[in-house]
Amino acid sequence: MNKSSLSKPMGLVVSIVSVIIALIIWQILAKQGLMGKNFPGSIETLKELQWWLSDPFFNNGPNDLGIGTNLLISLRRVMIGYGLSILVAVPLGLLIGVSRLASSSANPFIQLLKPVSPLAWLPIGLFVFRDSELTGIFVIFISSVWPTLISTAFGVQTINPDYIRVSRSLGASQLRTITKVVLPAVMPNILAGMRISMGIAWLVIVAAEMLLGSGIGYFIWNEWNNLSLPNIFVAIIVIGLTGIVLDQLIGALQKRFDYQV
Amino acid sequence: MTSSKDYREAQLRIENVSKVFTPEPSLLRSMSGRRSTAGYIALEDVNLRIEDNTFVSIIGPSGCGKSTLLNLMAGLDEPSSGQILLDGIRIRGPGPDRGVVFQNYVLMPWLTALENVIYAIQSAQPSTSKGSAKEQAREYLSMVDLDKAMGRYPREMSGGMKQRVAIARALSIKPKILLMDEPFGALDALTRSYLQEEVLQLWEKQRVTVVLVTHSIDEALLLSDQIVLMSRGPNAKISDLINLPRIRPRKRSIIETHPDFLAVKQRLEEHLLKETRAIEET
Repeated sequence: MNKSSLSKPMGLVVSIVSVIIALIIWQILAKQGLMGKNFPGSIETLKELQWWLSDPFFNNGPNDLGIGTNLLISLRRVMIGYGLSILVAVPLGLLIGVSRLASSSANPFIQLLKPVSPLAWLPIGLFVFRDSELTGIFVIFISSVWPTLISTAFGVQTINPDYIRVSRSLGASQLRTITKVVLPAVMPNILAGMRISMGIAWLVIVAAEMLLGSGIGYFIWNEWNNLSLPNIFVAIIVIGLTGIVLDQLIGALQKRFDYQV
Repeated sequence: MTSSKDYREAQLRIENVSKVFTPEPSLLRSMSGRRSTAGYIALEDVNLRIEDNTFVSIIGPSGCGKSTLLNLMAGLDEPSSGQILLDGIRIRGPGPDRGVVFQNYVLMPWLTALENVIYAIQSAQPSTSKGSAKEQAREYLSMVDLDKAMGRYPREMSGGMKQRVAIARALSIKPKILLMDEPFGALDALTRSYLQEEVLQLWEKQRVTVVLVTHSIDEALLLSDQIVLMSRGPNAKISDLINLPRIRPRKRSIIETHPDFLAVKQRLEEHLLKETRAIEET
C-alpha cells in the first residue's frame, strides 16, 4: 500500500523530527509558565526518565520502588488477568458461535456488562476477595474478556461453511473439524479480539492500581501525592512504550496466523 | 439374492428422490398465523443408476437442481423423500467413500497444498501415520503435476492449480466415487481445456466412478460415458439418458468429427436452448 510519495526511511525521519519539535514546544510552553507555575519542561522530564531508567529495579519499601519493579508488578497482574480472560473468552466464544442456545443465553449478560466501566468492579472485587492483588486481576479479567469473546463468536458465525462441508465430506470427526478447521479459520478473529482486549487490560491496570497500593498506576498516584509532575510524565512515557510493545507482540501473532494475505 | 456373473447392481442408485426446500420457520411468520408449508420443490421423483467405473455427466439448464442432486449424493444434504444407495448401502451423511470437488476449490487457506491433502488423508484414515500420509499426499499431487507447488499456500496458486490440488485431495481418500460440482466453472477457457485433458488422462489411469455436474456440453461430451440430461426446475426431473460410444482414450477432436458425438451434441444443444428459453421468458 502506497500512502503517499514518502519513502519508508523518510517516514521514519519525519516521525523523529515531529517528536523533537513536540519536545521543543513542550519545553517552551513550560518555561513560559503557560501551563502553570513549576510545570516541568521536556528537558527536566527526560533527565528524570534517564535517572529512573538508570536503576529501574530498586526496592526501598512499598512507597519507593524502582519504575521497572512497579512495571513488572503491573505486567504480572495484567498477564494473569488477561490470560484468564483469554482462557475463558475463546472456548466460550466458540460455543456461543456454534450454538444458538448458548448465544441466546449469554447475550443479555454480554450486552449488559460490556459497557460497564472497569472501575465499577473494584468495590465488588475488594468485597469478595478482600485482597488488592486478586481484585486487580479480577478487574483486568472482567474488562478484557468481552472483545475476545465477541470477536471469537463473530468469527465462528461468519466462518465459510464450505470449509466445514469439505471437512465433513472427507470423513473428519467433529472434534477434528473443530480443532483443525474451525480454530485456524477463526484465529484471525480471535487475535483481533485479543489485541483489543490487551489494549483495554493495559488501560485499566493503571486506573485500578491507583486504588490498590502498588504497580505503575500506584506509582503515579504516589508521585501525585509527592507533587512530582516530572515523575508522572516519566510514568506516562513508560506506560505508553510498554503499551506499544504489548500491542506489537499480538500484532506479530496476527501476522503469523493471518491466512488471507 | 444369487450373485450370478451377468447380474450386477449399479454402484450408485438414486431411488425416487425428491428434494423440497422449506423456508426456515421464522418467529414472525409463525406468529402471523399463516402457515406456508409449500416449499420449493427442487427435485421431483428422480431415479438414476450409475454403473461402476463409468464417467457420468449431469447436464441441465441453470437452476435445474443438478448441484442439489450432487449434494444429496455427497450426503451434504438429505433427500426429502426417496433414498440413495452406494454399493447397496443407504447414504446417510458425508463420508470418505465419496470424494467431492467443489467449483470454488475450498482449500484450507492456512494449509499448503501438501498439508491440505495430508489433512484429507488423515481425516479419512485417522490411523495413517504422518509420514505415510505425507508420502501418499506427494504421490497424489504428483499425479496432477503439482510436484513443484506442494509447499505453496492457496493464495500463491492460480485457480487451475487450486482445482488440481482439490482433485488430488478428493482422490487421496481413495473414494469409491468422485463427485465433481462444476469443477471448471470458475476457470478461464484455456485453463479449463487443460484441466479437462488432465482429468481425462487421470480417469483413464484410475477408472474411478465419476459424477460430473456441468453446464458445458463440450465438457460432457469429451469426458463422459453417459450423459444425464435434466429438465428445468422447479420440479426438475431427469429428462433423458444418453450413452456415448465408449471410445477411449479420447481426443478432443472426437466431438467435432465422430457422427454419434455430433448427433448428441445437436440434441443437447436443442434441449438446453429450449429449456433456457423457457426459463428466460417466464
